[in-house]
Amino acid sequence: MTVVGDSGLPRDAGRRDALHHRERLRKKITEQLKQGIGEEDIIASGPEKKVRVPVKGTKRWQFIFDRGRQQGVGQGDAEPGDVLGPGGKAPGRGEAGLEPGEELYEVWLDMADVEEMLFSELELPRLKPKSESEIESSRTVYDEIARKGPKLDKKATLRENLLRNAKRGHISLGGIEKSDLRYLTYRDVPKPRSRAVIFLAMDVSGSMDSNRKRMARLFFYWCVQFLRSRYDQTEIVFVSHTTEAREVTEEEFFNRVESGGTKVSSAFEVIGEIQSHRYPAADWNVYVLHVSDGDNFSADNQRTLELIQSLARVCSLVGYLEVDPGGLTRAHKLSLFYEEEGGRIEGFVHSRASEDRELWPALKLFFAKDDVEAAVR
Amino acid sequence: MSGYTLADLQDVDERCREIAGDELGFEVPEVIYHLVAPEEVYFAAANGLPARYSSARWGAQFDDAYGRYQRGQERIYELIFNTRPVHAYLMEGNSLVAQTLVIAHCLGHGYVFENNEWLGAVDREIMSRVISAAERIADYMGAHGRDQVEDFLDACHAIAIHQPQAQLIRKAVAPDPEHRTRPFDVLFPDEVTAERERVAQERIALRSRFPREPEDDLLSFIEANARGLEDWQRDVISIVHTEQSYFLPQMRTKILNEGAAVLMHQEVCQRLFMPTDRYLEYEQLNSVVMAPHPARVNPYNIGINILREIMRIASEPDEEERELWSWAGEVQPFDQVRTVLAAYDDEGLLREFLTPKVCELSHLYAFQHLEQDPRRIRVSSREADAIREVLIAQHSTLGIPHVQIVDADFRGRGELLIEHIHDGMGLDEEYARGTLGQIARLWGKPCTVKTIKGRETDQDAWFTGHPDGRSERHVTTPR
Repeated sequence: MTVVGDSGLPRDAGRRDALHHRERLRKKITEQLKQGIGEEDIIASGPEKKVRVPVKGTKRWQFIFDRGRQQGVGQGDAEPGDVLGPGGKAPGRGEAGLEPGEELYEVWLDMADVEEMLFSELELPRLKPKSESEIESSRTVYDEIARKGPKLDKKATLRENLLRNAKRGHISLGGIEKSDLRYLTYRDVPKPRSRAVIFLAMDVSGSMDSNRKRMARLFFYWCVQFLRSRYDQTEIVFVSHTTEAREVTEEEFFNRVESGGTKVSSAFEVIGEIQSHRYPAADWNVYVLHVSDGDNFSADNQRTLELIQSLARVCSLVGYLEVDPGGLTRAHKLSLFYEEEGGRIEGFVHSRASEDRELWPALKLFFAKDDVEAAVR
Repeated sequence: MSGYTLADLQDVDERCREIAGDELGFEVPEVIYHLVAPEEVYFAAANGLPARYSSARWGAQFDDAYGRYQRGQERIYELIFNTRPVHAYLMEGNSLVAQTLVIAHCLGHGYVFENNEWLGAVDREIMSRVISAAERIADYMGAHGRDQVEDFLDACHAIAIHQPQAQLIRKAVAPDPEHRTRPFDVLFPDEVTAERERVAQERIALRSRFPREPEDDLLSFIEANARGLEDWQRDVISIVHTEQSYFLPQMRTKILNEGAAVLMHQEVCQRLFMPTDRYLEYEQLNSVVMAPHPARVNPYNIGINILREIMRIASEPDEEERELWSWAGEVQPFDQVRTVLAAYDDEGLLREFLTPKVCELSHLYAFQHLEQDPRRIRVSSREADAIREVLIAQHSTLGIPHVQIVDADFRGRGELLIEHIHDGMGLDEEYARGTLGQIARLWGKPCTVKTIKGRETDQDAWFTGHPDGRSERHVTTPR
């Protein structure tokens, strides 16, 4: 018979495993976000920019008997015929009933976290330093520990305190002295001088019905979010087109409703013009993304391809996404034409999405990380 | 600390032991008590065994239960492990009266650990294996990536419970088909030849069947027979299997064990605290422990009520009870309790002693989940027979559906076929399909289960899971 004041276990083991658990949860959420990237509630996330993500796939699987047909035994003064609510309480109490083995998570996430999770997998491809940039920038990184500095590092301080106590023979925290204090100090990391401009071109013609427009807007929404969060010095040029194209503001781009025919070449003409005047390739990394339903005026296809060819010579990427929910035939679609006639134009990437869940793979295709493994995944 | 020292607790332990041994006649083996922070108690509880391998699974359970503790929704008083020596955890911050109750309670557990026959199957030397397993799994995580090992562990945990000792009722094994000679065989030579031929065919079919007999031990079968598993994966399977086998006998004796522990803390604390003012504090704690659970049964509550009834039958039986039990009125109450604690598991205890009186004392009722909303229940009966039937069914199977591997070359493609030996109730489809996906991951090929639809015994249901997690339902035998 012994009583000891020690568990024989590492003290932080519980927290450590809980962290592993949360990390796994985070990964599952990320996977799920990719599936639900088209869901409106992620975008319409309200003023606080928080989204509610129900996490599936965290059930603890096991064979159980058919729920709802099981019998059981309970305790209390209820009489035969009485109906009791979840947990045996009288019905009406709003308590979430857990299914067997289920871990129920509905996580409220900051939009910033969501973006961090998703966008860490994306990158502007083939971004090169451009010589004549007037913006020579650096960013400030807090990652060095010193005895003096602007920002107290609690973890390092506790570590010092523990170390000092241990040297005196008692392994515990406490009695923090000034000499224990550790600070984070900053250093400046120069940023590569690489400027980029990205042209986003959207087909707003009559054949783009509301669902197609919605998918196109979703795709561009995530493009813009990605660029703004990761490449704050990127310039974005918005172009919308029917049979004619013009540069528009961001607000117009996302809200403009038009009708009429489609001449895709018009968009590339405008882009080519703006690019050569305002963003010379010597100074800028240039990217072009075009989204359409692919119903182009067929006599225009050849001209479009020629323009793409000449743009691709100065661009790091020309991308085309065809949004075609429920499409039955690709007979007259632009994607088929590109496939047959486009040959291998260096720097030209095209893809199709027939439902929301295919938007994420498209984003990943266009913004593939340069390392080969990520590109093929 | 709350006004007491480790030495004070040691004194409490000694006084409790004196009462348990000298006054009540219970010899209890050594128990080592650890006085630790709530966080550590909760973590050990989440693990099920101390010093177990690190896993997000324990982390999830810890997060959940410790969160509830921090929000004041629950409180663990005591945690005890059936190892040799027995280790128990006391939570810092509990009052000395609470610690006294817990220490006395642990003596009851210690007695059952040492003396119950069903618990003889527990490997009480398991700690050295647990520690070595934790080191190996940490190595595997280092070598193959934490996620990969965690995913594999998840798959193992999904079916670890399906071991032979979980199911006490076995189906008789079908004998080899045999041709029997009959007196008039000589008159029908053609029929006899055809019959011989048929039997020979059947015998060949049976011999080539694998497994030869239905296999109750899912993990062991997969470990031994799955193709394409790496060595570390086979080791992980066997670790999960071994550790699970430690828990099964204890699941079988939960009511008995808690009943013994409550009996001990009640007897000891009454002697220690009556008639002081500490008795009130003790009695409040005792009633918390005994509080009935609405939609399930509190094992402490039903356990102590059964043991108290046994004691009453031993000392003051009525006429009927004298007829039922030869020892009624003939034996010392504590002696009879010791006999029961040594020989019974929960199923046996309920079968024999879940009397109408106990049902009344514990306010038991039988219920049925509503089909349209399984989270709600309808009380179906307060009759002892109805209650006993449901409770015994639950405890004979430990609530675990009985499944067996019946064919490891299903559809001629090396797939697994698992049969659910149903007792009138089918498997839950969503969970069956999810679980089959996990089994398929271990086996490397699709796995199918045959069960029934709901309570309709004449309607077979088939579910198949694939290694990539996809799953489907079939309405007829999958071809």
